[in-house]
Amino acid sequence: MTVKKRFALVLALLLSGGILLFAGMAFAEDPVYGGVLRWREINDPPKLDPAMATDTVSSRNLYLMYDMLVENDPDGQGLLPRLAESWEAEEGIVFTFHLRPGVHFHKESLGEPTLNGGREVTAADWKYSFERLVKVTSPRAYFIDMVKGYQDFVDGKTEEWEGIKVIDDYTLQFELTYPFAPFVSVLAYNSFMVVPKEDAEHWGKDFNFHPVGTGPFIMQEWQHDQKTVYKKNPEYWRKDAAGNALPYLDGVEIIVIPDNTVAYEEFKKGNIDCFPDFPDEYYLTAKKEFGELLQERPWMGTYYYGFNCLKEPFKDNKKLRQALNYAVDRVRINDLVLEGRYFPGKGVLPPGMFAYNENLKGYSFDPEKAKALMAEAGFPDGFTAQLNVNNNPRHKAVAEAIQAQLMELGIKLNINVLDWGVHLDIAERAETEMFRMGWVVDYADPDNFLYVLLDSENWGPKGNYAHYKNPEVDALLGEARVETDPAKRVELYQRAEEIIVDDAPWIFLFHYTTSLLAQDWIKNIHLPAMGDYSTPLYNVWTTKK
Amino acid sequence: MVLPHTISLPFFLENFRGKRLFFGGVAMFAYIIRRLLYTIPVLWGVVTVVFILMAVVPGDPARLMMGQRGDPQTLEKIRADLGLDLPLHQQYLRFLKDILRGDFGKSYRNNEEVTTAIFDRLGATFRLAAWAMVLATMVGVLAGIVSAVKQYSVFDYSAMFIAISGVSAPVFWVGLLLLLVFAYGFNLVPGVGYGDGSWRYLILPVITLGVRPAALIARLTRSCMLEVLNQDYVRTARAKGLSEKVVVGRHALKNAMIPVVTIVGTQISLLLSGAVLTETIFAWPGIGRLAVEALVARDFPMIRGTVISMALIFLIVNIVVDISYGLIDPRVRYD
Repeated sequence: MTVKKRFALVLALLLSGGILLFAGMAFAEDPVYGGVLRWREINDPPKLDPAMATDTVSSRNLYLMYDMLVENDPDGQGLLPRLAESWEAEEGIVFTFHLRPGVHFHKESLGEPTLNGGREVTAADWKYSFERLVKVTSPRAYFIDMVKGYQDFVDGKTEEWEGIKVIDDYTLQFELTYPFAPFVSVLAYNSFMVVPKEDAEHWGKDFNFHPVGTGPFIMQEWQHDQKTVYKKNPEYWRKDAAGNALPYLDGVEIIVIPDNTVAYEEFKKGNIDCFPDFPDEYYLTAKKEFGELLQERPWMGTYYYGFNCLKEPFKDNKKLRQALNYAVDRVRINDLVLEGRYFPGKGVLPPGMFAYNENLKGYSFDPEKAKALMAEAGFPDGFTAQLNVNNNPRHKAVAEAIQAQLMELGIKLNINVLDWGVHLDIAERAETEMFRMGWVVDYADPDNFLYVLLDSENWGPKGNYAHYKNPEVDALLGEARVETDPAKRVELYQRAEEIIVDDAPWIFLFHYTTSLLAQDWIKNIHLPAMGDYSTPLYNVWTTKK
Repeated sequence: MVLPHTISLPFFLENFRGKRLFFGGVAMFAYIIRRLLYTIPVLWGVVTVVFILMAVVPGDPARLMMGQRGDPQTLEKIRADLGLDLPLHQQYLRFLKDILRGDFGKSYRNNEEVTTAIFDRLGATFRLAAWAMVLATMVGVLAGIVSAVKQYSVFDYSAMFIAISGVSAPVFWVGLLLLLVFAYGFNLVPGVGYGDGSWRYLILPVITLGVRPAALIARLTRSCMLEVLNQDYVRTARAKGLSEKVVVGRHALKNAMIPVVTIVGTQISLLLSGAVLTETIFAWPGIGRLAVEALVARDFPMIRGTVISMALIFLIVNIVVDISYGLIDPRVRYD
């Protein structure tokens, strides 16, 4: 064999090897049908009726079984069609949704045929589902109280919700009483899912235990405090890019394991496939052991300490509130207490949120400035204040670190660790001087943060626990709510946030991250910006059988 | 031995005094009836105390149902739906009326029937507690007897050292240790959960739950046996030439058992009323976890239901324990 021939042979071998290797890689990444994904949760889902759920565990389950009109883009940067193929808005008042044809309700639930028989979803079902929210006193119906006729319908003065109109089988229209820019964003929230009238009416309040939707999975079994078991919906409407039916998985099991240590051991043993909201105590170990399998990304949420603006010493004392903002070393606390998992906060809006201001000045750690401001505020030698924190090891650790830092300036914080219900009660009645609170996004719009948490219309249980009031901020937020030009909205929200940060009704502490540890045999699983519990599973597959 | 809770049932005793209608006689029957009647005011007391506590403890269930943010109008509507807007005395009367009808209501948290939820979880808890108690009693009594008979031996020292460790070791620590070694280390048993109900899922939680009562029973059996073994009648038995087996088994053990039965009874009640930590570590779907979750959510109907059922279990077990005294010690009278 000549040198030339030998070279050609080697080249051919290398090429064919390369082709085989790439083919193999491509094959390994091709979707595979079958298998069951086991997802860990910390407790049993309290509510499987979308109208009634307000917690993340319930939401995780709901996303498997139900669909909304629209959904959030995985990066939280916009909205995508879901059961609405498209929509248009007229002056921010009238919103018309064009529905996707060929979407069917589940034919069965918990092994029994459903009463709807697997019929197609039409606009009338959407109208029913929205009206049902009011009829069953959904805790989230008021999210869309701007839809015309809400109050009359709530008060029982009308038979139907005037502002929701069925134009034809595939066209649904909402009319609002005032322009509300984030309206479509709100509809991506998991209360606004379609349910079949036949089943919902038949079961009444027990619909919670007989859920029927249009989602990729059908409920097969609910073993309370153990697991919820789902099987694939063979008539699910979504297809993959190649036109193949979805979901790939045969089923999903949401397994309840209350203890984090045990859950992590179960994961290592391969007994669970997905471990969401990964705990701090095993974070570094897991990062080392599992590398990129532990996904983490900024979550649209803010962690803060509110000052009671109605009570001394923080009432009418902006300088004192600013002093405390300068006195806290967020970076150090994040590194030492939170394993560096959060993002030190400069303001209210989290990174990634529409109108997030990268140039916002915020407060850096500056004890000298804090001392000077305290003297100007009339507390040169410090003071004593009560800080209420809800019972959670992470919150307690952060509170103790802040307590130690403030002690350097003579500020004595008395930490009061409370049960969540008690904590909320006290905060909303403005009975403590300082309180811990966090907020994660319901709908991806600054309105959900700035208006809800800091507009004076929302004092107390409606979200503004600091009881902060600044008429200028109220005016800007009110204007931004009805403004439909995105550029103008950015301007209004950024201006409002600058004033809020200067007024310092909170110590702006951190922005959350969301996390998910998944086994290497679980493919195409992507953590969304809206939180681990909304991770889509309809396009995920497993290579382990 | 004079037992507490003696009330007379004149008519019944007048007619049947001294007649042995069944094992234990008329007196025992009357005693059981008396004790059962006693449970009524006790349960009423429990119900009332729980109701008052729930009314005064801060934390509004309607508020918790709404989450962190809620509008006052919806909040009021939810409170009205749950009957929380009624004056307290009306809520109390309604609650008593429902209980008398055997209706504990529906959970605020998930709308589940309280009685169904309790019965669902009670089976799992009962299974766990019963086996834990069998294990604890067998190991505890046996270790206690051998330790007493072989006082100051290596066995005695070792058993009592283990018993002290067992009493002191926190349940969550024992549970995690067992899991790490036997489930995740050697793969001998499955990890957590109820599984398909197989006995293999029971092994570790039963041991975890049984360690503490076993240690208590062992220590108590030992001290009771030591006391009894020094009594004159035991010396007499030995002097009569009876074998050590008969002396210990028939004469000493029976007399040493009364305090042990008491502690076994108390432990059964405690285990049945919810082994919260064990159930949490092993993801066991029992009544303890149900009660804790209800408490966190201020799920009043579920809290009342679980507390009343726990109180009922406690009372029934106590009655059974008191009755068993008479079976062990014939000197015990029920009148």
